Amino acid sequence: MTKIAAAARKHAPIFLVAAFGILPLTEPAQAQKSGGSITVGQELDIPGFDPLKVGVYDTSTNTAAAAIFDTLTTLDDKGEPAPKLAVSWTHSDDYKSWTFKLREGVKFHDGTPFNAQAFKENFDRQKDPANKCRCAFYITNIKEVLAPDEHTVVFNLTDPSVNLPATITIQSQNNVVHSPTAWKTKGDDYNRNPVGTGPYILKSWTAGDRMVLEKNPNYWDKGRPYLDRIVLKPLPDAQSRFASLQSGEADIIWDDENDADNIMKAQKDPKLTVHTYKGSGAQVYAFNTKVAPFDDVRVRQALVMAIDRPKMSQAITNGLSRPATNPYGDGSWVKCKDDGALPFDVEKAKALIKDYGKPVEFKTLVTATPRGRMVGQVLQQFWKRVGANMEIEQVDQATIPSRAFTRQFQMTPWRIVDLADPDPQMYANFRTGSPLALAGYSNPELDKLLDHARVTADVGQRTEDYCAIGRLINKEAIWFWTFQNTYYALSSAKLKGFPKIYNGVIDVSTTWLE
Amino acid sequence: MLNFVVRRLLAMLPVLLAVSLLTFLIASLLPGDLALVILGDQATPENVAALRRDMGLDQPLWWRYLSWLGHVLQGDLGRSFRTGQTVLQAVAERIPVSLELMLMAEFIGLLIGVPVAIACAARAGGAFDRFMTGSAFAMLSMPSFLMAILLIYLFAVELHWLPATGYVPFTEEPLGNLRFFVLPALTLALAEWPGIMRVLRSDMIATLQEDYIALAKAKGLKPARILFVHALKPSSLTLVTVTGINIGRLLGGTLIVESIFALPGIGRLLVGAIYTRDLVILQGVVLLVACGFVIVNFIVDMLYAVLDPRIRHGRA
Repeated sequence: MTKIAAAARKHAPIFLVAAFGILPLTEPAQAQKSGGSITVGQELDIPGFDPLKVGVYDTSTNTAAAAIFDTLTTLDDKGEPAPKLAVSWTHSDDYKSWTFKLREGVKFHDGTPFNAQAFKENFDRQKDPANKCRCAFYITNIKEVLAPDEHTVVFNLTDPSVNLPATITIQSQNNVVHSPTAWKTKGDDYNRNPVGTGPYILKSWTAGDRMVLEKNPNYWDKGRPYLDRIVLKPLPDAQSRFASLQSGEADIIWDDENDADNIMKAQKDPKLTVHTYKGSGAQVYAFNTKVAPFDDVRVRQALVMAIDRPKMSQAITNGLSRPATNPYGDGSWVKCKDDGALPFDVEKAKALIKDYGKPVEFKTLVTATPRGRMVGQVLQQFWKRVGANMEIEQVDQATIPSRAFTRQFQMTPWRIVDLADPDPQMYANFRTGSPLALAGYSNPELDKLLDHARVTADVGQRTEDYCAIGRLINKEAIWFWTFQNTYYALSSAKLKGFPKIYNGVIDVSTTWLE
Repeated sequence: MLNFVVRRLLAMLPVLLAVSLLTFLIASLLPGDLALVILGDQATPENVAALRRDMGLDQPLWWRYLSWLGHVLQGDLGRSFRTGQTVLQAVAERIPVSLELMLMAEFIGLLIGVPVAIACAARAGGAFDRFMTGSAFAMLSMPSFLMAILLIYLFAVELHWLPATGYVPFTEEPLGNLRFFVLPALTLALAEWPGIMRVLRSDMIATLQEDYIALAKAKGLKPARILFVHALKPSSLTLVTVTGINIGRLLGGTLIVESIFALPGIGRLLVGAIYTRDLVILQGVVLLVACGFVIVNFIVDMLYAVLDPRIRHGRA
């Protein structure tokens, strides 16, 4: 390697930052081209779109939903909420009521006008206990939605939320807006015949094979979308999905860290572009502090200090996973100078276990998948080294939430997903008495910080609160974080205009082909 | 012959009943509670109990089996809780893809296996015979997912001759449809021909030692005529069985191959149902596939009887 190359390599992160820094400046020079068609290779078959049927959208459904539907708000390139179906919003002083002004003249694909009543009907349908929607769980914090006039929607909340416009941006089952006429007239068939206001209209859908979306000629955002057609195809096998991208059958594919080899191959291929987004949130574990041995802080601290995250990343994803020392992640606006993370220190961990004086034996839940097993085995080795015996308990993915909610575990894996604001998840995970506070840990200081952060508008003050929360959790070691959430999409270099992968959603509705 | 057909049909009934019981048990005894799966994140003990009651999951197993069987006999195999589709709808959409894949794979398998077997039998123990018998072993021990990836890299990524993944219906674009099926069918066929070849080869070798072959040789018939006309038909009895059994085995292969090549067939439906714990679909598809297998076996039995009169008269 030449000296210059070596120097460039050393400074690569700086160059990258610089490149991102000037991106917004250079972007207008790139003219968006209209026309053409792309094929998106997805991981899963899409089960459908009716929240009453499918409950919660998966990653593949989110991608289709981002093209067919719109949400009230969206996140701009800086991660700030920006207008979409709503053009402006205001809040009450206590942040328990939010009023959105809706865009006028918008129509669903079937001609139904989009207005406050239509939005309210969407919400009421999900909230109605008679409908028993699995989607209702995620809107329990919204007491009611009112439609005082044609273009005004009011959210009344049970608890204050300072960042509601940001948290409703994901193209999820709760946030996308369906045509009430369509679900009423189509009944059971609506699930596979979705109607939204989005940039693309569902043209055809062959089960297990392809979904063809065509440009909405009457889209409210004039000039958009650019592509005439988007074809979504489930390509479940990671190897052949990547081969389809290489051979040109797919223009963009979903990917994740489990497929580290292909991501690295794509990084070296000039014909391909690796899109990655460092989201907020993390992969986490919760200790049940109500049961031995985790009722003793020394044991919890020892186990956290025994984990060598870089080595673990190497073992499971070829080094692609990024170690996490707090629950917020690089993609969050919460940036802490000091998050109080316990250092990796085998000797100190051994000493803590010795100090505890009793044998440390416990079970950890892992998912019954090759990946779950591998992660479990790596942790098992780390802990064995400091004198703790962990038994792996493999269970079905669906069993973990119920075991967690009923506290039938000693240690359980969990995830803090990439949301635009930490409040909903942090409050649910750590506030005393919350059904999701899995650790069973209660601390008035922690509660005070959580309460304060959710009613404070000042970002600086909230950052301080959340960093203090992070320090407290790290010191008490009631949960620990292994890796930050990172999202991937691989595409042909010709595909332009692909946005940030917020919340892991591959949104191709703004892209064009060069 | 009619007597034979009726006897065979009656014998199928207990088999089908056993199949239905086993399929029901598979789905019921699998770890993981259907109610938990459906409720997902909001599974509280009360919700789970209520849903279990609604779905009859709190009833004893035998009662659930009988009520399920009752529905099945009326043609109601249930509805996916994920997509709202009925099992029959889902299967009807997917079955043409799997059938095309299996028939094409079996055809390619025979196309490779039969000529190689004849050539090997013609000079048993010769260099070609030894080479092909060795290759057959190598092919048999190669897992189909590895073969699939190798074929994709060679023919799709490197040479760009054939598509790596995807599908178009035959009615839309007949030639395109065949192009999409070549690699997946070849993947299955490459695991298929060794079996065909070895069975036919050993039968042919045995047949070629029969007296009437010696007679044919003495009469000065051409070796090709002896092989194809006099030796092939009597040697192909086992081949018919193997081909029949293969169709059942191929269904197993489609689980992997359809996932890798993204073909929307029964195999993919089944894999998807397993991943998402869609037990209704899982149960229904396994039942239909198992019944299909029983029926294929019945047809093979019938063919057998046509090929060899001793069987239909109950003397073999």
